[in-house]
Amino acid sequence: MLMLLAQSRVEMLRMSRNVYFIFWSSMMPVAFYFLYTRIFTTGTTDSEQWNAHYLMSMTCFSIMGSSIMTLGIRLVQERAQGWVAYLQVTPLPNSIYFGGKMVGQTIMHLFSIIVIFTAGFLINGVSLPPAQWIGSALWILAGSLPFLALGTCIGTFRRVDTASGLSNALYLSLALLGGMWMPLDIMPSWLRQIGNWLPSHSFGNGAWVIIAGGVPALRDILLLAAYLVGFMLLSTYIRNKQREA
Amino acid sequence: MSSPVIKLEQVSKRYGNKEVVNNISLEIKRGSVVAILGPNGAGKTTTIKMMLGLSTATSGLVTVMGQKPNHKQVRQKTGVMLQDVSVMDGLTVREIIRMVRSYYHAPLHADHIEELTGLPPADLNKRAEKLSGGQKRSLNFALAMAGNPDILFFDEPTVGLDSETRRHFWERVRQLAQEGKTVIFTTHYLHEADQAADRIILFNRGTIVADGTPGNIKAGITIRTISFSITHSMFANDDVSITGMAAEADVRAQIEDLPDVDGVKYHKDRCILHTKNTDVLLRHLIERRIPVSDIRIETGQLDDAYANLMDTLKEEI
Repeated sequence: MLMLLAQSRVEMLRMSRNVYFIFWSSMMPVAFYFLYTRIFTTGTTDSEQWNAHYLMSMTCFSIMGSSIMTLGIRLVQERAQGWVAYLQVTPLPNSIYFGGKMVGQTIMHLFSIIVIFTAGFLINGVSLPPAQWIGSALWILAGSLPFLALGTCIGTFRRVDTASGLSNALYLSLALLGGMWMPLDIMPSWLRQIGNWLPSHSFGNGAWVIIAGGVPALRDILLLAAYLVGFMLLSTYIRNKQREA
Repeated sequence: MSSPVIKLEQVSKRYGNKEVVNNISLEIKRGSVVAILGPNGAGKTTTIKMMLGLSTATSGLVTVMGQKPNHKQVRQKTGVMLQDVSVMDGLTVREIIRMVRSYYHAPLHADHIEELTGLPPADLNKRAEKLSGGQKRSLNFALAMAGNPDILFFDEPTVGLDSETRRHFWERVRQLAQEGKTVIFTTHYLHEADQAADRIILFNRGTIVADGTPGNIKAGITIRTISFSITHSMFANDDVSITGMAAEADVRAQIEDLPDVDGVKYHKDRCILHTKNTDVLLRHLIERRIPVSDIRIETGQLDDAYANLMDTLKEEI
């Protein structure tokens, strides 16, 4: 346990020094939020509802991106630089190496959530009951697990270029088709059909439901859990395959 | 205490159909400094990786301190410096040292590790990725020592180091040997193996081709030659009707009849004989009154000898 905490601390320290991470996980979502709620106003009937809804979209967008990209690309980098091989010959267990990354990253995500929520309050005066603030934050943290698992799949790539290209493409299409940039309702029905089965939509939907005063649907929870298991199995399978080679 | 710390029994490693290591067996004694020497692609790094549990043998058994190489207890007592390992980014030298120390039960004192990096105090608070290549290697050496290990593995430790840092490194290895630590390193520089190790295991094409003290290895693979001119004009033969050509052929026959000759070469008008024992051969040359002049005895340079061995090995296969 002590080892896990020490390792998480190191990972947090490294992330907080990473300019790209700060930019992509806090500045970008806040900038998008500002753009789409203050500059390009959509003229929705209930702007207060929309401001809160879009705040959740952008927070999910941020956390999902950091889970897939930051984790995935870092894993590839550390392997490419031989650091992973070095750690394997130290007494540090593999589980603590991965665990430290997950815990460190989750704590950093909490900071991102606080920053983006605060920005929502400052920019648009979004105000929610405390239970909804806390509930949505917890949902986003828990819902990021399948995306962290996807990040470990990306982390099995040998080359940083391929990993970063693929994770960018995945990240942006998941965000778009999951309705994080614009509601699924305004998309063609066949896209809506696809979006409905993507983890990103269930991820966002849980948060949207919470701030509307509801409870996340069982379907969204099960879908996210299924993706989590699927990505974990895939990542383990690839890693075992690579070890044999 | 005399039991081996590392034992390989009939170990092979195949990648696809390519046999990288072919049925090798060896034992390494506690406290020895062993050089695994061989040209690129000889299977040195693969062998080290199997000793470290980074790669599993296709067949055969590898044990370190009586355990599997990836056993927790083994990890606690080994220090490793691998090829192509950079430093962790985003952390200062001090933070990395602190992190790696936390992995071991009985690590060296942080001050001691900082000293081992050889870095000036100001650089200890620098981000590790900002260090120069040589400094990063020095940091990796210090990190290998962090757990106060009994066995040290260095894979091509001096590649890319300048001569000063290189000298410094071997000085430290000798110190480690005096402290009774077991050191195993790979290199393709024969003189490094010769200087630092008390045992050289010579690899070529996945097999061990020689194993012994540097002295033995050198004696085994050093070429000594006797060369001379064949002088038929001064040659006083009983039978004057014999032509110069025939006389030379006769001399050649006599030369080929000499004992202990490993090889004969004719170069321009000189004849070069390869032998392990130049003294005996010289005596035969004189006693048999073979008509030669301008005799020279030469001993091949260590690196020449090494290259020569590798050449002959290639020819054999």
